Amino acid sequence: MQPATQAWGFAAVRLAGTVVLGVAVGWLLHNPWGGLAIALILHLGWMLAQLFRTEWWLRHRSYADPPEIGGVWGEIIAQIVRLHRRKRFHKQRFVQLMRQLQRSTAALPDGVVILNAQREIVWFNRMAARLLNLRRTADLGLRIENLLREPQFVRYLARGDYANPVVVHQSSGTDTWLSLQVAPYGDGQLLLLVSDVSRQMRLEAVRRDFVANASHELRSPLTVISGYLETLAQEPGLDPQLQGPLSEMRRQAERMTAIIHDLLELSRLEDTDEAVTAAPIDVAALLALLRKDVLARPLHPHEVRVRLDSTARLLGDEPEIHSAFSNLVDNAAKYTPPEGSLEMRWWVDEDGGHFSVTDTGMGIPPEHIPRLTERFYRVDPGRSRATGGSGLGLAIVKHVLQRHGGRLQVQSVLGAGSTFTCHFPPERIEAAPLTQAVRFS
Amino acid sequence: METADLSHHISRRFNEDLERVRSKVLAMGGFVEHQLHKAVTALVEGDSTLGESVARDDQQVNNMEVAIDEECSRILATRAPAAGDLRVIVAIIKTITDLERIGDEAEKIGYIASRLATMERPADKYREIKHIGRVVSDMVHDGLDAFARMDVEAALRVARQDRLVDEEYEAIQRQSITFMMEDPRTIRRALDVMWVVRALERIGDHAKNISEYVIYMVHGKDIRHTSLDDVERDLRAGAAVEPLPPAARS
Repeated sequence: MQPATQAWGFAAVRLAGTVVLGVAVGWLLHNPWGGLAIALILHLGWMLAQLFRTEWWLRHRSYADPPEIGGVWGEIIAQIVRLHRRKRFHKQRFVQLMRQLQRSTAALPDGVVILNAQREIVWFNRMAARLLNLRRTADLGLRIENLLREPQFVRYLARGDYANPVVVHQSSGTDTWLSLQVAPYGDGQLLLLVSDVSRQMRLEAVRRDFVANASHELRSPLTVISGYLETLAQEPGLDPQLQGPLSEMRRQAERMTAIIHDLLELSRLEDTDEAVTAAPIDVAALLALLRKDVLARPLHPHEVRVRLDSTARLLGDEPEIHSAFSNLVDNAAKYTPPEGSLEMRWWVDEDGGHFSVTDTGMGIPPEHIPRLTERFYRVDPGRSRATGGSGLGLAIVKHVLQRHGGRLQVQSVLGAGSTFTCHFPPERIEAAPLTQAVRFS
Repeated sequence: METADLSHHISRRFNEDLERVRSKVLAMGGFVEHQLHKAVTALVEGDSTLGESVARDDQQVNNMEVAIDEECSRILATRAPAAGDLRVIVAIIKTITDLERIGDEAEKIGYIASRLATMERPADKYREIKHIGRVVSDMVHDGLDAFARMDVEAALRVARQDRLVDEEYEAIQRQSITFMMEDPRTIRRALDVMWVVRALERIGDHAKNISEYVIYMVHGKDIRHTSLDDVERDLRAGAAVEPLPPAARS
């Protein structure tokens, strides 16, 4: 500010000096007006020359060596140089930041692909190029699903529900399992995250195989043991003292059979990545059957109700759904005292279909609810083992529901009872054709 | 001004149509690749349910072909494309026919796999089939990649691979004949294996066709029934090169 005001001062003084000098010289030559005019023209010419140099300098962008101009024009040039320096500084900082960002994303152990709203590839990092066999520059602008054609991924992309990643097997070239997740951001853009999960998948496969094989191998010896125990128990000349231990042995052998059965069922559910069939299931008939099963138990709740609020059929795999529902009903029956009651309910609304089992048992402490579907998880170790459950029932329920796109909800009040609800998405419900037609017409 | 805007609008809509059909073709290709992979896996691992699922899902391939075919007819009728765009449509119509045939061959393999699963498996565990299956799968994959990228070089590479598959086919045939002569009890299985290898060899031919359509699409040059070396020389000399339609490039 200080030099600028000074420069303006100088400029004013210079103009005044020029005018005075011009008038003085003109007065000596008896033509003060002519002198003034010439002085002003000279001043104007000098200003124009400075303007020209400034403009020339700006045009050629030779910011490095500004012209040696004093006065106001020099001040303006100094301001421009300062502005330019500041701009260059910020630009360099941004470039540096960008480079760092690019370097860090390139170093990411996961692949990153940026897609625009048309799902065309905008940018990808080195890992993505390696995992997806993308080519630098050549593949920019191509649609991602044209290159990554695995049907599961194409379906995932089309569905638009990116809450969970999708795992696909890349069979061509390298034999890898990729986990792909899309994260939408900005204006319809998508961020695609790719990671190699081959190792996890292989470990998982080994674990599954082990469980399946072990259960299978355990089954045959157990059948033999159960068979002999049965024969022994019916032996007429049996020492009455052995009666108790024998029946206990039989009970435990039965429990082991149940556990192995459930383990095999679970490993089968995990093993099939094929989509479940969508055959219509008559829920009303299924619930009637389950009710009969409960009433056939030696100790069953006093009251077993079935409440059908809808006749809509569920689309799914009948054996799996039966296994899931009967596990829930069995549990409820097991934990409800004989004087209690049990209710099964099936209803359909705009969120889909819902099946719930409500009991008046002792309830579940809230801290246990999130972990109920873990394998062999026990709320009360002493008690639940006595009831003879395998500890795998709810894990099976969870898996079956997952395969049908549904979820399990547990509500419980300690001492008053629990409600287990299976929620199925609307596409799993067979629309009753008649009512549907009426509604749309 | 108005007309210019209108024509721009029409061509943009047309490009979108073309791009959508191309994506559908590639989605169908992806499904067929998946089917082929499942069929070969079912055979090699003796998984009869997997084999059956391949045979069952072939209907979906057929449905896709019909849908794309209809869309192509619609584009031909309503947009009357010319030059490069017309070539893209023609190439798509031909490509889906070959893809559908690949699907049929995969179905056949799946069907045989589910039957072979119940029989005793040979000592080599179908190692040759695994190998030729891999080569053929890669050919289909690379052919479709070439289609997606409009990549003539890659398409030529795929076309060249076909000779390898033919040689492999001959070798397995000779080997099977030896087995059959040594032990007539294996004849039934060996015949089934021959069917599978034959199907794989046919798939290789279809993959070669697809890559030839890519060259046709990009260069407007029909290279069927021409030796590959001649084709390559011609292409290098820059003969018959027409600029790509913008839709095909994006």
